[in-house]
This record gives sequence, C-alpha cells and structure tokens, in this order.
Amino acid sequence: MQKFFSNKKLIILMVILIVTFGLLAVTVNIRDNKETPPAVQQVGNDVVSVVGGIFAYPTNAVKNASSEFSDLYNTYTENKHLKARIDELAQNQAKLKVVQDENKKLKEELKLNSTLTDYTTVNASVLSRSSSSWQSYLTINRGSTSGLKKNMPVMSGNGLIGRIIEVDKISAKVELISTNNELNDKFASEILDSGNNAITGIVSRYDSASGKLVMENVNSTKNIKKGQRIITSGLGGRTPRGLYIGKVYGIKKDNYGMTNSVYITPAAELRNFTVVTIIKSSVSGEE
Amino acid sequence: MNIKTRKIVGQVVFLILAFYLDGLMKWAFLNNMNTGDFMILPQIMLMAIVLITMRIDNRRQLLAYGIIFGLVYDSYYYGIIGLYTVLLPLIMVGIDHFKFLFVKANMGYELSIYFLALTFLQSGIYVLERLLQQTNTNVFDFITYVLGPTLLWNMILFFVIYVPLANLSDWLVKYRRDSK
Repeated sequence: MQKFFSNKKLIILMVILIVTFGLLAVTVNIRDNKETPPAVQQVGNDVVSVVGGIFAYPTNAVKNASSEFSDLYNTYTENKHLKARIDELAQNQAKLKVVQDENKKLKEELKLNSTLTDYTTVNASVLSRSSSSWQSYLTINRGSTSGLKKNMPVMSGNGLIGRIIEVDKISAKVELISTNNELNDKFASEILDSGNNAITGIVSRYDSASGKLVMENVNSTKNIKKGQRIITSGLGGRTPRGLYIGKVYGIKKDNYGMTNSVYITPAAELRNFTVVTIIKSSVSGEE
Repeated sequence: MNIKTRKIVGQVVFLILAFYLDGLMKWAFLNNMNTGDFMILPQIMLMAIVLITMRIDNRRQLLAYGIIFGLVYDSYYYGIIGLYTVLLPLIMVGIDHFKFLFVKANMGYELSIYFLALTFLQSGIYVLERLLQQTNTNVFDFITYVLGPTLLWNMILFFVIYVPLANLSDWLVKYRRDSK
C-alpha cells in the first residue's frame, strides 16, 4: 500500500480519469434534466457570446452579402415563378384575415383563451456554430431574459430548424433538426392531405446522405403523396400546432419491411440564414 | 506593464481570436448541413495551442492555458464539460515533454505534431462521446467521414498559414531579457 501511493504518476493518472468522467457525467445529466445550466456556466457562456458578437456581426454581414449574390443569380427564374403565384397569395391573405377574425370571435364565444395554434415569436441572430461533429448547435443572442425556455422550437424563414437545448441569461444554444441524437430532437407532426383524415407521425431522424428528414411511426401510408406538406401537430405540448416542416419526398420501408418511414424535404434552407425565430407556445404543456 | 505581462496578454488574445475563428469558420464556410456525409471541423485553436506550446517552456503556464481554454471551449461549443478541458492539457504536456527531441522547430516537425495532436483530440472526443451515448456513429464512419476530412482540411490550412502564424507566435513568446 505504501508503495502504491508513492507512485506519483499513477495517482495523477487516476485523478485525471476520475475528474474526466465525473465532469462529463455531471454535465450531461444537468443538460438532460435541468432547465438551465449552473449559474457559473451561464455567466461564462454569456460573456463569451457577448464578446463573440463582435466577430459574429461582420461575418454575418459577409454571409448575407454572399447569399445576396446567389439570390441575384436566381432572380429571373424565381421572378417568373413568383408572378404566377402572387394572385393566389393575395386571395389567400384576404381569406386568412377573414378566417382569423372569425376564429377569434368563436374563441371568445367559447371562452377559449389559448389553443395549440397560438404562439408568440422572438427573433434572434446567430452568433456561431459549434465546431463539433455530433452536436450541431447554434449559439443565438437571446436568452432567458427574453423569455426563452428549454425545448422551444426554432424556425428560420420558412421552416422548422430545431429546438432550444440550453438557455443562459442572454444567450442560448439551438440544437439543429439535422442532429442525429437518440434522446432529443423529435417532433410530433402530421401530414396535410386533401381529405380530413390526419396522418400523424414523429419526425425523429435526419438522413445525412440524402439531406432529408425522416418521419417515423406513421399510422397509415394510404393517402400519402409526394409534395404533401408536413406541419407540427402540437401533440406532446411543447411545440405549437401548424409550424411548417417540409414536403413529402417519398416513402421507404425499413430493412425488415415492417414499418414505413416518410422522407421529407426540409422547408428551411439550413445553410444561408443569419436570423432565427423562436416560437413561444401560449399553451403550457407538460413540464 | 512590463514586457512579460504584455507578451502574456498577447498570447491570450491570440488564443481567443483562434477560439472564435473555429466557430465562425464552421458557421460561415463549412456549414454543410443539407447534404453530404463529410464533416469538416475547423481546429484553428489547436493550431495556435500547438505553436504556442512549442515555444513556451513554462509548464505551469501551459497547463493554465490548456485548462482555461478547454473549459471555455467545452462550455461554449459542446455544452458538456470534460472533453477539451482534459484533452487539451494532456496534449500540451505531451508536446512539452517530447519537444526536447527537436533541435529547432521547423515546419515539418510542427506539421506532424499538429497532425498527431488533432488525431488524438478527435479520437479522444469520439471515444468519450461514444461512451456517454452522445453519438451512435460507428468507428469506420467516424474515420471516413469525420476524422479524414477534418485532418485533410486542417493540414492544408496549417500549410497555408504556417509562416505568418509561426512568426506571430515567435514574436508573442520570445523577448530579450534586457529589453524592459
């Protein structure tokens, strides 16, 4: 025993191992179970993100400028396409306004305060992307002082891009929908078809080879057609109903031919954005 | 402020810049999320760390840099503490331990040391994350799609920016004892 404890190198190695696994286990547990990380870590992350803003804003400006060039390149074909759609849009907008008013009145009539479709939004700009292989995180410049909470869904432009995984005081981390994680990152969703039968499932996986999202646990595949739109269903309580995810790309059976997976082309362009929108659901779900 | 403190401030600023460059590089240029299996992780901070470690002889100072920047890196980019916090100081002590073998640091040596450090760091992170079930990638996919492209990209970058970086870190560390 005397000899063992006199070996300094062995003891250092032991301490390193214990510290490593201890730290890792504790922080993973905190991230999975607690609403916010410990105060020290929050303050540290906030300071780093505030300073990071100095570097992030010029980078975002360059990024925006470069995406404007490619936009310019595509303008002609896009313009043609958009002109064809614009009349339809005006009509839809008028209809939406009428229906919204009607919906509001009916809700008042029923004394229904908030439903699954009600939500408010907060805008935030992206500070950086995690340089890590398996945690596809974005850091954004809004935090718990802006009313953000863990697990709120995040949109960019036209579609869902992920969910908040860590909230600090004035910054937060967003886990992208393209993360392949066993535990998180699942969205209860449904396919909008022409009829009334709702086809529900869970968007749970990202196929990195094809760049498609995968919806599993689909209850029926009878009426699914390519091009149908997929929205969040609002079941599960954390995500409001009606956030646009993408369009149906195709159906594949798994290796055993047992279950069907619906492949989805994501609506959000996951590369060229610098601003994201956080969705705050008005209905408080399960805590 | 005497010359020594000024040099230390310079070194810290250098490392902080490299730290932010990692995230910004990934965000602005290597953001291949929609398609493609390959994953390139910029590791510019590790470059700065290797260059600084090759030039500083004070092991306490090296350990302090490793632990502090490791903690910040873990907390800001990974959300899990214990990956860089442990691996970075280990790499720095390792380099410090074996650098007496090189009479004079030149590009070939430093390139190969950076290669080894990067391989060790990425494999270490992979093993730890695999143990904690943060990923389910298998070893061959990790080597083909993550380690390979990352090494290639970072080696090319190191090759391109070696001369200015090496001169800068020379200037940040060395000073004549009589110039106060």
